[in-house]
Formats: sequence, structure tokens, C-alpha cells
Amino acid sequence: MTCDDVRPRLTAYLDGELEGDRGTVVRGHLRTCAACRQVATDEATLRDGMRALPTVDPPAAMWASIQAQLAIAEVEESKRPSWRRALSRWTPMLPRFAVGGLAAAAAVTVLWWRSHREPVQISQVVDHPSPEIQASRDIPTATPSSPPFGAPSFDDVTADLAAEPARTTATYAETATELVTLAAEVRPGWTDEQRATFDARVAELRAAVDRATDERPRQRAWRAMIRYLQQAIVRDDVALASGGVH
Amino acid sequence: MNELAEPIGSPLTGPLAGPLAEPRPRIAAALTDDNELIAACRRGEARAMERLYHQYKRRVFGMAHRIVGASDAEEVAQEVFVRIFRALANFRGDSALSTWIYRLTVNASLSHLAKRGRRHEVGDDGLTDLPAPPPAERDSALASRIEAALAVLPPGYRAILVLHDVEGLSHEECAAILECRVGTCKSQLHKARARMRDLLGDSLRGPGDAR
Repeated sequence: MTCDDVRPRLTAYLDGELEGDRGTVVRGHLRTCAACRQVATDEATLRDGMRALPTVDPPAAMWASIQAQLAIAEVEESKRPSWRRALSRWTPMLPRFAVGGLAAAAAVTVLWWRSHREPVQISQVVDHPSPEIQASRDIPTATPSSPPFGAPSFDDVTADLAAEPARTTATYAETATELVTLAAEVRPGWTDEQRATFDARVAELRAAVDRATDERPRQRAWRAMIRYLQQAIVRDDVALASGGVH
Repeated sequence: MNELAEPIGSPLTGPLAGPLAEPRPRIAAALTDDNELIAACRRGEARAMERLYHQYKRRVFGMAHRIVGASDAEEVAQEVFVRIFRALANFRGDSALSTWIYRLTVNASLSHLAKRGRRHEVGDDGLTDLPAPPPAERDSALASRIEAALAVLPPGYRAILVLHDVEGLSHEECAAILECRVGTCKSQLHKARARMRDLLGDSLRGPGDAR
């Protein structure tokens, strides 16, 4: 076994991950090679030194600051409209449901609510088409004029829900664009191989975005690209050597 | 040591500073496992939230401290805990609570560095400015040089070294936190240690060690 064979295995050897013969051959080489022995000794000193680094205690007032931030966040949360709070609770589960299903459920809820809060007039329902119909007609989704104070605006809810996926996609696209700019700034510090890996992976992810025809797959593709760009910018070799987590 | 006995102070001012009626704890027994702790935190029980904070504060703060540096560590650690308490309702238990919290910490730290657009805390010159370690103080001097070398490393290497070597987590835990394969984790640790060895050079050797 040569030095070139042993060096890549030293970390695993020192961490006790090489058992049986695999450990024996490394140990045998170390007995006869002063250079590798020195490297192993250095790495062991480093490993022990890292493990012995002193614990860093947070400032005593940190918990109070966190409580203050949570209190502020709770006050802000309480001011949000109830349907928005409900929507935020649903957001993490959105991938499990089709956006159309969510819009349909919202429409049913709105109709049920109206039927219990005020007399339903057929003409009103017809005048306010479902989000899908509204989207297919390309009607602008800007919020209509505000209703009088105290009167719930059901038109706002349905229009806003219909526009939500497109807004989310646009936000993902903006974020990815910003990250691409940031990646261009750090790119000069990469090796040629890393740049090539990065370019290939970004092209692949971009193609996935272009291929997606619906909002949900498109959002998923954008999220994959954002995740990779973040990794590439800050995690260096983890993302740049392997193309990141696929 | 009873960590809950630590004084926590109350810097709240204005209307937020007043006493707040708390939900009555539904768990009479001690909060012995993560599920009970999570459930109590979700109900907004102050005792459980404080317990969770004290359970993880040192590791969260320590990781942030060594990844983003001393000056920003508190800001990042606070952000992590606020996120933890606000996102606990959506925690599905796909991974251990600790893994989830450490992942939030590493991601928040790395995002913080990305937002700040700073890849390195200090330049390589920062190491040469450190005094050569006198034999009697070699251990503490070595610790200082290790901290300085850590700050010079690329953030990805820093993260794996902090998780594996400083915090003593297994490769499997590190891989779950960094969302990469165990093999990738091992190879990154090997490269990161090699970079540290290069940076530290003779500092790793005692006075009588030959090169």
C-alpha cells in the first residue's frame, strides 16, 4: 500500500471507521512511513483540538429577546385576516393537493358562508365566476374596490386565491434570479471543474422549469433551482462537486 | 444543574411587557420526551418553550458562533429559535427534533453568510497574526488558532467540521442535517480537515515534534 492509497483513508482510520484488514493495512503503512505518520498525528491533534474547543454560551438575555420577538410576531399574526392565517397553515401541505382543488374548496366554503350570512341571489353567484373561469378569461386579478367596513369581501378571497399560485411562482423566479447574480459574484473563486458542474446543473434545473406546464411542478422546479443555487453559493464543494442533492 | 433556574431577565417594554395569562399545562408529568415537549410548545406553554430553549441553546448558539462568527451569532441564534417556535406547528416528525433544529441552525447560518455576501470571516493573514504558542499554553493557543482557521474555511467545510468534530455528531446525523449523502459528508470532512491541517501547519505539533 502506498502513501497515495493511505492518505484518503486516514480520516476514516482515525475516526475508527476502518475495521479488520482495512485498518490493519493503514496501521502497517503508518509504522513504516514517517511522512504519513506525521500527517496522521497532525490530523489526530486537530480532531482532538476541535473536540476540546470550549462550549460557547449564549448571552443571558437571549431568551428574553426571543420571547419579545415571538410576542411581536403573535401580535402581527393576530392582525392578519383569518383566511390568510388559514392559508398559511395550509401552505406546507399544498404539494399534496392540486391548486384547483384548493380553489374549489375555497369557492364551496365561500358559497356556504354566504348562504349562512346573507340571502344568496343567483345573479350574484353568476357574476363572480370561479377562480379557474376567471383565470381562463385572463381577467386581471387586482383587488376590487374595498367594501364598506365590516362587510366581508368574498370576491377578494376567491380572486386572491386564484392569483396566489402565480404570485408564488413569480416570487420563486425573482429569488432564483437574485441567487444567480450572487453566484456570478462568487464564481471567480471556483475551479474550472466546479464552474462546469455548476453550469450543467443550472442548465438542467432551468430546463426543468421550462418543461413544467402547470404551476405546481413549475414551483417545484424553481424550488429545486433555488436550493441548488443556495448550496452552490455557500456550501462550495458539497454542491459544486456532485451537482448537489437531486 | 437545573438550567431552568437561570435568570432570564425581561427586556420587554410597552404593552408587550405586561403579564400574560398562560395556557394551563395539560401534562402533569415532566416533559420527558420530544413529543410531549413539542405538543406543549405547540399549545404555547411557556414552561415547555423555555425548556426547549435551554435544551438546545448552547448547541444552536455554538454552531452559529462558529459558522457565522461571534459578531452575528446571537442574531442568527435568535432567528433560529423564533423560526423553531413558529414552525413547530408544521414539524411532522420526519426526522428527530434535534436534527430538525440543527438543520435550521446550519441553514440559517449559511443563508446569513450568503445574504451578507461574505465568504470568509477573516483572511489567511489572520492566522499569521496569531502568536506562536508557548509550550505551557499550547492547548489554549491551539484552540485559538483552530477557531481562527475555522473562520477562514469556506462555509461548507466549516459546517461539516462544526457538526462532526466540534459537536461530535455522527456522519448519519451530519448527512441528515446537511441534506447530503453520508459518503459526501465523509469526503467533505476529509477535505475540510486537510485544509485545516494546511492552515495550521506547525501549530499542530509540540515543541519537540519533527516535521
